[in-house]
Amino acid sequence: MILLSLAWRNLWRNTRRSVIVLTSVAIGVVATVILDTLSRGMVFQMLNNQVGSHVTHMQIHRAGFHKNPVIQSTIADSEQIENVLRSDPDIVQYSRRVVTFGLLSSATNSSGVSIVGIDPERERSLTTIRSYIVEGSYLTGAPREIVLGKALAEKLEVGLGDRVVAMASAKDGTMGSELFRVAGLFETFSSEFDKTSIYVPRSSAQTMLALGSEVSEFAMLVTDPDRLTEIAERLRGRLGEEYEVLPYMDLLPFLVLQIELYDQSMVIFYVIVGIALIFGIINTMLMSVFERIKEFGVLKAVGMKNGRILIMVLTEALFLGMLGTVVGFLVGYLVYLPLSTSGLDLSAFSGSLRSFGVGAIIYPVLTAGVITNALIIIPLMAVAGAVYPAVRAMRLEPVHAIRYV
Amino acid sequence: MTNPILQARGLEKTYEDNGVPVHAVRGIDLDVFAEDFLVIAGPSGSGKTTLLNLLGALDTPSAGHVFFEGADLSSKSKSELAYLRLQRMGFIFQAYNLIPVLTALENIEFTMMLRGMEKAERHARAQAVMEELGIAELAHKRPNQMSGGQQQRVAIARAIVTDPAVVLADEPTANIDTATGNALLDLMERMNSEKHITFIFSSHDPQVIGRGKRLLHLRDGRIDSSRG
Amino acid sequence: MRLLLTLAWRNVWRNKRRSIITILAVTFAVMLSIVMRGIQLGTYEVNIRHVVELFTGYIQLQAPGYQESPSLRKSFRLGPELQDALAEEDEVLASAPRIVGDGLVSFRDNSQGAILFGVDPSAERSVSTLPDKVSAGFFLSEKNPYDVVVGHTLLENLGCALGDDLVVLAQGYDGSLGNLKFRIVGAMKTGILDLDRSAVLMPLATAQELLLMEGRATMIVVRLENLRRIDQVRESLAARLDPFGLAVLSWGEVMPDLREGIELDNVSGMLMLAILILVVAFGITNTVLMSVTERFREFGIVLSVGMQTRTLVGLVVLEIAFIVAIGTTAGNALAYGINSYLAANPISFGSEFEQMYAEYGFLPRIESIILLSSFVNNTLAILGVSLLASLYPLTKILRLEPLKGIRYT
Repeated sequence: MILLSLAWRNLWRNTRRSVIVLTSVAIGVVATVILDTLSRGMVFQMLNNQVGSHVTHMQIHRAGFHKNPVIQSTIADSEQIENVLRSDPDIVQYSRRVVTFGLLSSATNSSGVSIVGIDPERERSLTTIRSYIVEGSYLTGAPREIVLGKALAEKLEVGLGDRVVAMASAKDGTMGSELFRVAGLFETFSSEFDKTSIYVPRSSAQTMLALGSEVSEFAMLVTDPDRLTEIAERLRGRLGEEYEVLPYMDLLPFLVLQIELYDQSMVIFYVIVGIALIFGIINTMLMSVFERIKEFGVLKAVGMKNGRILIMVLTEALFLGMLGTVVGFLVGYLVYLPLSTSGLDLSAFSGSLRSFGVGAIIYPVLTAGVITNALIIIPLMAVAGAVYPAVRAMRLEPVHAIRYV
Repeated sequence: MTNPILQARGLEKTYEDNGVPVHAVRGIDLDVFAEDFLVIAGPSGSGKTTLLNLLGALDTPSAGHVFFEGADLSSKSKSELAYLRLQRMGFIFQAYNLIPVLTALENIEFTMMLRGMEKAERHARAQAVMEELGIAELAHKRPNQMSGGQQQRVAIARAIVTDPAVVLADEPTANIDTATGNALLDLMERMNSEKHITFIFSSHDPQVIGRGKRLLHLRDGRIDSSRG
Repeated sequence: MRLLLTLAWRNVWRNKRRSIITILAVTFAVMLSIVMRGIQLGTYEVNIRHVVELFTGYIQLQAPGYQESPSLRKSFRLGPELQDALAEEDEVLASAPRIVGDGLVSFRDNSQGAILFGVDPSAERSVSTLPDKVSAGFFLSEKNPYDVVVGHTLLENLGCALGDDLVVLAQGYDGSLGNLKFRIVGAMKTGILDLDRSAVLMPLATAQELLLMEGRATMIVVRLENLRRIDQVRESLAARLDPFGLAVLSWGEVMPDLREGIELDNVSGMLMLAILILVVAFGITNTVLMSVTERFREFGIVLSVGMQTRTLVGLVVLEIAFIVAIGTTAGNALAYGINSYLAANPISFGSEFEQMYAEYGFLPRIESIILLSSFVNNTLAILGVSLLASLYPLTKILRLEPLKGIRYT
């Protein structure tokens, strides 16, 4: 369309002016894109770290366990659940766990812990905790081994090969206790996790807590995490009300909330940056419009309707916005690429980041959301900024132009 | 004979126009004396404006020297030249002489302010010169409220109010009708004879040329003929 | 010179619309940045104060090495000399000793891990708001050494109620395990998830008995008059208490994660502001550029007449300063209004956020504070950036020659 070509060429009548506006848009976009990808990366890491290292995609317990994790609330019929899981095409891998709170004591100190009894062979393909082992080894399957966080080991003043005693309420009401030998130490992204979680062989836990062959929890990975809700529904249907089927969103509600919050606050930030850009665009478009008053007069005389003039000016602003955004986005992408592999080292804040469960290095994440935010919001704001000048352009009579010179 | 206030020796000026060198001034020698009423005339492209600019320390020669009150201008920095212009010269241009947001009075006071003169004194002098030139009633008007002729009068007032050694005027009557132009030239002649102010004009207007007591004809950057 | 000022001022208003829009942009940036900082800093202070008064105290005295690796072994003796030394420090309002240890609490068949807090029932009142957080029942009293207050979530999870008996099992100072039976007299709701689901409060003397720590404590919690004077008081205390060999820690050192979390938020906030200011600065560049190129002929004449180039640059700088000054004044005024309003009427978040913030220890409220330094810093920043942004057009003037200006088309 001639209109588009005209609008485009009009942009370049005053190259320097247009370039400055483009630069401001580009800078705004680069900055927000980098900030956006980093925030999303941080929040995704939080989620993936938790999900991947321990929580897994979904857990099944006896109904009510999540709210009130008492040892008595066990899964009575493991086999029924196993049958359901094995026959479901979306369940990739699962394992059975014993979970309870207790006290871990060494000769010198004790600490409250979350005791997790696992089957190390199965867990290998379920979680990544093994990759966080920094000393010793993961559970081998030998009885009465324990793997704990390095921070916890330091607090208890124990090292590899030392003995510790775990104590917790057993299912039969007695106090269960067992002696364990430290086989390995892990150090994850979360200082909280390191200080409070310990892994022991499931059989040892079952013995200690008088559980027989019962377990507290099934943990599993699915084929497509995006369809978790659907898969959970299906499992609920097959298992009935006796059990609770919890996708990770239910297990980590605060984290999920936090992700949503970040999304929202990012959109707000884009809008704010857009508003800041609008002022610059209004001025630029006004200038550009007033310079061309006589020309508009000619166009009108030749038969161009007011509406067309309006659209032409708006299109110019749209081009400015889009061009600036695309350039900004490309530059932002070029910055993002190396960052996405090397990550941004924020070890100055490592303490708090580890308490949030993130780890000191943040990897930016590019999602469709980032792209749509940048490519839609900013150009839209550019057009919004051009409305006033465009309307003026439309209504201006060449005769009045003299006053503005 | 007194010393010349302005001297040009072997003056040359070449500049580039789209890659093509233009020799605007090619070897000019000139002496200007106090109270001269000199017109530099010639067709367009003859180099008269360039010569005027060189004499007025607005431009630097490609070769040769300009001496103002004995001092060689080529040894001065831009900042010193500006200072010189402020202290010792007055300028009248073809158009756009005045600062649009200032009134006539303020425009006249402007150079005095730049020279650090006290407000009372410069106000008094501005008023005085406006009376002399008959433009007192324009004092609080802005340029866009005056005619071309009125604006030029204010420009003249500003140029002479600081008692400059020389006033340089580049085509001062170019945008004005004949009658007004005549009146302006009367004014400047009067300033020349009563107040002994030296004027150098560059013009191709026969009206101006006719008034010149000294005349310099330029052609292709050289002095073609001179009179007076 | 007044005439130059007048000239600069009138030049600003030559193009009213353009100048007003630029001023609006500056106002927007200034207002937004001051309000955002006010909210950020205000919210931090609220949260810090909340945590500090509830739990950590402004300053804690501990045995060296306790903070990195807490254990009963790293406790210290409570002597009268220590009390006296503390009393001598002016800005210390009150202090109270505590013992913190891990244990297991059982009710009938049920047991949960717990954090045991031995606190001085009377002294605690003057250092923290913990006694006010009793949501049901009573706080501790010295008269009943075996009464405890339990976090309300812990109460629920154990399935017990006020009046029930609780057995606490813990490892003592010498490594041996001991237990005591207690009666639950109160439930506590602090809003801090970790406390509510694992804290058990008992009188200090009883904790000392249970953990075999007669006359000892793991920390002394200190309350000050003024949060912002923490560093000075800390130094003074460190000097004064040097003979006792104790470490003096500010809340930031006791809860480094909280402090760093705030710092992270702080930095990201400032980053966003910087982006905002940068964007506005470009708008100013363009405006200045436009207004300057329009006047090249005029500038040429003025330079010809003998004005120094630097004076001309100064003139344009004055024009920029006027615009920025008006914008920042308006922005400051608006921001002051908004911040004042928020300081007096803090906004509370909806309930879903409340929970989340409780988990991370933040209060779900927006408060704001008026800090003179905030105003000044932001204004200076925007002024500085605007001038930097105008460097390009200003250098154009600097390089302008009188004749080039006159002949400019």
